[in-house]
Amino acid sequence: MEPAKMASPKSAPKDAQVMAQILKDMGITEYEPRVINQMLEFAYRYVTTILEDAKIYSSHAKKSSVDADDVRLAIQCRTDQSFTSPPPRDFLLDIARQKNQTPLPLIKPYSGPRLPPDRYCLTAPNYRLKSLQKKVSSTAGRITVPRLSVGAVSSRPSTPTLGAPSAQTVSVSAKVGTPVSLSGQRFTVQIPSSQATVKSATPTTPTVQNVLINPSLIGPKNILITTNMVSSQSTANEANPLKRKHEDDDDYDNL
Amino acid sequence: DRQTLVAVLQFLRRSNLRESEEILRREARLLGDELGNAALSPAGPLGAPGADGDHASGEALLSRVAAAAPIAIGGSVAAVASSSPGVTAVTALPPGKGVVVEDQPDVSAVLSAYNQQGDPTLYEEYYSGLKHFIECSLDCHRAELSQLFYPLFVHMYLELVYNQHESEAKSFFERFHGDQECYYQDDLRVLSSLTKKEHMKGNETMLDFRTSKFVLRISRDSYQLLKRHLQEKQNNQIWNIVQEHLYIDIFDGMPRSKQQIDAMVGSLAGEAKREANKAKVFFGLLKEPEFDVPLDDEDEEGENEEGKPKKKKPKKDSVGSKSKKQDPNAPPQNRIPLPELKDSDKLDKVMNMKEAARRVRLGPECLPSICFYTFLNAYQGLTAVDITDDSSMIVGGFADSTVRVWSVTPKKLRSVKTAADLSLIDKESDDVLERIMDEKTASELKILYGHSGPVYGTSFSPDRNYLLSCSEDGTVRLWSLQTFTCLVGYKGHNYPVWDTQFSPYGYYFVSGGHDRVARLWATDHYQPLRIFAGHLADVTCTRFHPNSNYIATGSADRTIRLWDVLNGNCVRIFTGHKGPIHSLAFSPNGRFLATGATDGRVLLWDIGHGLMVGELKGHTDTIYALRFSRDGEILASGSMDNTVRLWDAVKAFEDLETDDFTTATGHINLPENSQDLLLGTYMTKSTPVVHLHFTRRNLLLAAGAYSSQ
Repeated sequence: MEPAKMASPKSAPKDAQVMAQILKDMGITEYEPRVINQMLEFAYRYVTTILEDAKIYSSHAKKSSVDADDVRLAIQCRTDQSFTSPPPRDFLLDIARQKNQTPLPLIKPYSGPRLPPDRYCLTAPNYRLKSLQKKVSSTAGRITVPRLSVGAVSSRPSTPTLGAPSAQTVSVSAKVGTPVSLSGQRFTVQIPSSQATVKSATPTTPTVQNVLINPSLIGPKNILITTNMVSSQSTANEANPLKRKHEDDDDYDNL
Repeated sequence: DRQTLVAVLQFLRRSNLRESEEILRREARLLGDELGNAALSPAGPLGAPGADGDHASGEALLSRVAAAAPIAIGGSVAAVASSSPGVTAVTALPPGKGVVVEDQPDVSAVLSAYNQQGDPTLYEEYYSGLKHFIECSLDCHRAELSQLFYPLFVHMYLELVYNQHESEAKSFFERFHGDQECYYQDDLRVLSSLTKKEHMKGNETMLDFRTSKFVLRISRDSYQLLKRHLQEKQNNQIWNIVQEHLYIDIFDGMPRSKQQIDAMVGSLAGEAKREANKAKVFFGLLKEPEFDVPLDDEDEEGENEEGKPKKKKPKKDSVGSKSKKQDPNAPPQNRIPLPELKDSDKLDKVMNMKEAARRVRLGPECLPSICFYTFLNAYQGLTAVDITDDSSMIVGGFADSTVRVWSVTPKKLRSVKTAADLSLIDKESDDVLERIMDEKTASELKILYGHSGPVYGTSFSPDRNYLLSCSEDGTVRLWSLQTFTCLVGYKGHNYPVWDTQFSPYGYYFVSGGHDRVARLWATDHYQPLRIFAGHLADVTCTRFHPNSNYIATGSADRTIRLWDVLNGNCVRIFTGHKGPIHSLAFSPNGRFLATGATDGRVLLWDIGHGLMVGELKGHTDTIYALRFSRDGEILASGSMDNTVRLWDAVKAFEDLETDDFTTATGHINLPENSQDLLLGTYMTKSTPVVHLHFTRRNLLLAAGAYSSQ
């Protein structure tokens, strides 16, 4: 990311200037510009929460106006709720002493995978993540229009053979071609997506650029729509020259 | 807490404070239940009359005390808070040597936190008076006595803040914060933001700092000088403060020079007391089991099951049979229960030995080749990397809460078939282990979803069946590398977990996090087996010793502690770093520990003696990766400054001065030989190095995420 540019003093609102000054006082010199917005939002939200609580307390005490005691009480109650801190040292030392007194349990030999009782394991999930990858239609003539989907769900963990963006981002997801139904509904384009690349939660640009085509424009079936896949295709995960370059054909067949 | 009150009453009686004692008795009885003459109500407020702030603080104190278990109070119960500035404060008893063991929950320390020594407006006078005295003292003593400045400054400031003298605190800070050593600047910045008592409530580190004693090591001569000066009438106050907040570990011998002192100080709790580093540590390695290795040099295939007759005669494994006698420094084999060796483990060991035979012997003339794995398009989301011991798989933990596993070899990652398919295969066939794998799922990359926060630590198990990942969501997850699903989520830390590692023998793993403790778990227990508490700030790095009997933890309080797995005791405390520690590496022979921190230095420690034996300067930014080569000849370090550096470990550990004088006094004389030990510096293209790994043949693998700035 580029180093943060401070908002020029002339244009930034006063609150933003104050926040920038606070950050500077706390010794933080490098930060993204949106940090100031996030900090201001937090400050605003926190203060309004406290003041609302204080209003409730003061009306409960039948006072005419909110005074410092109410605010103090509101802060105290909220601290225990939102800003918990780790346990104090003497408490930790004490539970450590209790825990460390018991001898280490003996290990039973030849007992297969050593896991806690089933109740504490996650080995029996009662849900399955829906796989969004459908069968690839391998005929070249078929075209499909890319589907815009919001909040892409991740595929089953065992077969993420294609680039699947993370669940948090609202990004367009690459679907390997789905069966074409030229019935005026949405279409998907068969995009030869690359193998999974490593990406973070908040890409500023989607790694796959899809094109949404107005269905009315689609006439004959042989329109080939190419998309820009520079960012995801050109990168290799490893810089190991000895490694064979990945071939995507294998992955397609497996779907 | 009942006992606490009784103890306080006894103390008051012993100090002839009859009035206070009466008042306390009366008020306690006012509020409380009757529990006999010996016991008192736990809810009684603690405080001398007239102090308005003390009531609230007393109750808060008692509720905190109530949370702690009953504690044995030795002679060092602290004084009750005094009310008016004019009255001479009740002095705390001199720190009871040997009574207050450092790691026991010290209620007296908590009580003393509420004490107020003297007049707040005079604190500046006290401090500048002491400063003047120290600056005028003899050169040889000045360096040692200067150690007093920082802890005294912080404690006095915190006391002013805690007792709500804001303006005095502010002016005190303004006047003296510039005098402190440069390596304390980060702490001072944090301190400058703590201006009110409420600010301290959430900051556990500062609270712990207030209640723990800062350890200073001073020679007897310097100490006498200081004591004589402070016990003069007008300096009584500062003597009280010194006694209350500092623990002075006195040694006989020459005073230390500034350079020696600078090497050892820097941590939040001062240095380590000498007896903290005296326990015996079994740093030797466990004996490897002996078994036959078929001798086939040309044969690369995997048909090396032991005992299988080949044309050549099988040769006995020489590694195991070398040391028939028990190494006195090695722990007994059954000191801690370890999992037994399975057949697959034995096969793995045989492979390991074959690879070891082909291992390149490294040295200053023969440097390793470095193969760098760059993670592209990670957008600074790469937060953890690990590589299996046989270098076949690499895992990355990311800020988007995914864990991604790649196969580094041409062999793809496959998951096991479903149960329906498994019932169809022929279980008697020779390659049943291949048949259970589902070819349809073969891929080079597997993504594991499950965490709900950035993944800060990953670790493969030695048998490559399991993968651990720890995350900001407070859990440690165990994943199966055969089905690529999550098996268990270990909940215990309720705060971000910064690091985790499997034991070299599998089955156990350690995790350390924001709650300032490290926990030892076993894969088949849903609760931790051991809790290692003692650090003052987050535990940022956790590593097992090669013999799996000890765990090293590096923390943001700038110390490294070595813990015994058997009983959870802290057996070593290493101070000297000036920033939070981010990497640890044990040497393969188990004798030495290398540590790297944000200050850019690599420090080398002798575990047996508990001393610092080397300092490697060269990096300019945080060191995130440290690794010894397979035979311990080379130490590789990778850092945020985009370089990998290789150091000569053999030479660094060569001639160590570990005579009795050194161990007794802790004087160390570090040679300035960083330049001689540096064997090579390798720059990357703006890629900070996050992980280092030596393959079994001593090829160095490195990993990092490309960052475009």
